[in-house]
Amino acid sequence: MSVYKHEYRAYTGPLTPLWARVGVIVRYAFAEAWSTRITATLFTLSVAPVIVYLVGIYLANNQLARTLIMRGSPMLTIDAGYFLKVLETQSWLALVLAAWIAPRLVSFDLADNALPILLSHPISRFGYVLGKLLALFACLSLVTWIPCLLLFAFQGYSSAQPWVMANLRIAGGVLASSLLWIAFLSILGLALSSWVKWRVVATGIIFAVVFVPAGIGGIITGILRTKWGFLLNAPVMMTQLWQRILGAPPTMQGDLYLPSTAIVTVLLLVCAACVLMLNARIRAREVVRG
Amino acid sequence: MNVIELDGLQVQLGGRVVLDGLTGELRGKAVGLLGPNGAGKSTLINTLLGFHMPTRGSAKVFGRDTRSERALIRQSVGYMPENDSFIGNMTGVRFVRYMAELAGLPAAEALERAHEALFYVGLGEVRYRKISTYSLGMKQLIKLAQALAHGPRLLILDEPTNGLDPMARQRMIQTLQEIRKEGSIHLLISSHLLRDIDQTCDEVLILKDGRVAALCNIEEERRSHRNFIELEAVGPTEKFCETLRGIGCECASFAGGRIKLVMPDRIESRDLYVVASQTGLQIRRIHRRRDSLEDIFMRAMEAEPARGELVRL
Repeated sequence: MSVYKHEYRAYTGPLTPLWARVGVIVRYAFAEAWSTRITATLFTLSVAPVIVYLVGIYLANNQLARTLIMRGSPMLTIDAGYFLKVLETQSWLALVLAAWIAPRLVSFDLADNALPILLSHPISRFGYVLGKLLALFACLSLVTWIPCLLLFAFQGYSSAQPWVMANLRIAGGVLASSLLWIAFLSILGLALSSWVKWRVVATGIIFAVVFVPAGIGGIITGILRTKWGFLLNAPVMMTQLWQRILGAPPTMQGDLYLPSTAIVTVLLLVCAACVLMLNARIRAREVVRG
Repeated sequence: MNVIELDGLQVQLGGRVVLDGLTGELRGKAVGLLGPNGAGKSTLINTLLGFHMPTRGSAKVFGRDTRSERALIRQSVGYMPENDSFIGNMTGVRFVRYMAELAGLPAAEALERAHEALFYVGLGEVRYRKISTYSLGMKQLIKLAQALAHGPRLLILDEPTNGLDPMARQRMIQTLQEIRKEGSIHLLISSHLLRDIDQTCDEVLILKDGRVAALCNIEEERRSHRNFIELEAVGPTEKFCETLRGIGCECASFAGGRIKLVMPDRIESRDLYVVASQTGLQIRRIHRRRDSLEDIFMRAMEAEPARGELVRL
């Protein structure tokens, strides 16, 4: 084709390898996620607590500043408990970000029935979903493990004692906990978004799926006096899991703690349900049975 | 080389056999896919693209199996679906670039080809507008542009003139004729509008109840029936018919001086006038009937569709 001659010409140039097509999906999904100011605003708000925690680390390691600003308040301790608080804050902000971004990545494609055209190109359904997942995963990484590890590095730099080597478990724990949470959020967000045409509704449903069962779980726990109700309560369940991974001190009564295997099983079951939902929805053609 | 090879292709969807033992080889430059609703046209296209798996038999595009070499087939195919299918939130050029990159073009080439494809189909002036603001005709054209941008070897078009006004339809037909003329792309056009197929295709595959009802070259089919003639005459029509039968014509006379005849190839039209002169018949009107695609289609619909029988073009 030529713009001036308006004639068709075949393409004879080089082609990118098949695996690189997932990268195309990631790039366009990432651009779509950041094409709105709301994403930028949410990201800025998500970074704000990191600055507060950064100041906390600075104060904990600078005696003069501590004396001037905190005026004899009890000394801040930078340990697994402190990083657990950072992780909790950032993880719940990541939920907000995921609830906003995930519907943007999928619903535009579904609303205008773009899947037949998208999947008629050399990209599989798995590749398509993987690309969207990676884009969402990358967005959520920016507010979870990346700032957490930066804070860890800053603490290591600021501390007078050899702090880093003695607390490597915190860094590993923060990384593992964040990856677990954002992988869970990404797949949950995409699966729910793929079933709802309207983005705002999808955002609401993502919040509802996390918090409504938490309320039900709380009721079950309260009425039946059993810890198993917490299996529906994502905030409590995740906090318990993160405490163990980071080696942070417990904050609840010992008999209320769920076994780690139960928590992981619930997470895996939810992920499996999400995969089934995506498998049913992300198709070029739907087959009507009967 | 065959563009499409079907070997006893059976596709079952939702427990129902939709394609039943299709066997055939398509080699034409522009093949029309015809059939009544539910005949299996879209299912065949979806199977060629690898969206549906054959339950029995096989389908090959450029010698590649639709089951095991889907990615390679899709690399060389441009697909324009029947219904709306685009990302309304994107501008035209961004959407076409995205699709070209997915087809394997590097980003810079994809952008260049996206611009060219949009100019080629006539959307150059609106390429920076969001697709959701396009008219129905423009939406059809953007689907064509994305199918063309990566330079496919086979262009599969499902109802390309669906919902277009006469001007837009004419433009779409012209574009398809130009693509066919250019020669580097094979076309497979599914439509229920016989006129569209007639204007754009040289060959036609007619499906009925999931089976091949006919696979023929439109021009050859027409030529094989070119000597069907209707006459209106005054005078001894029976004598005229008898004489014609004597020289090998099939002839029948009707009330009001109407005569229908099929001439063998060796007999020319002027021979009719000679016979008329000899028998004293005055020919008032002569009408040479040409087979339309509609005739070909209707004949195919009347015949029992073949199952598993090899048809070749």
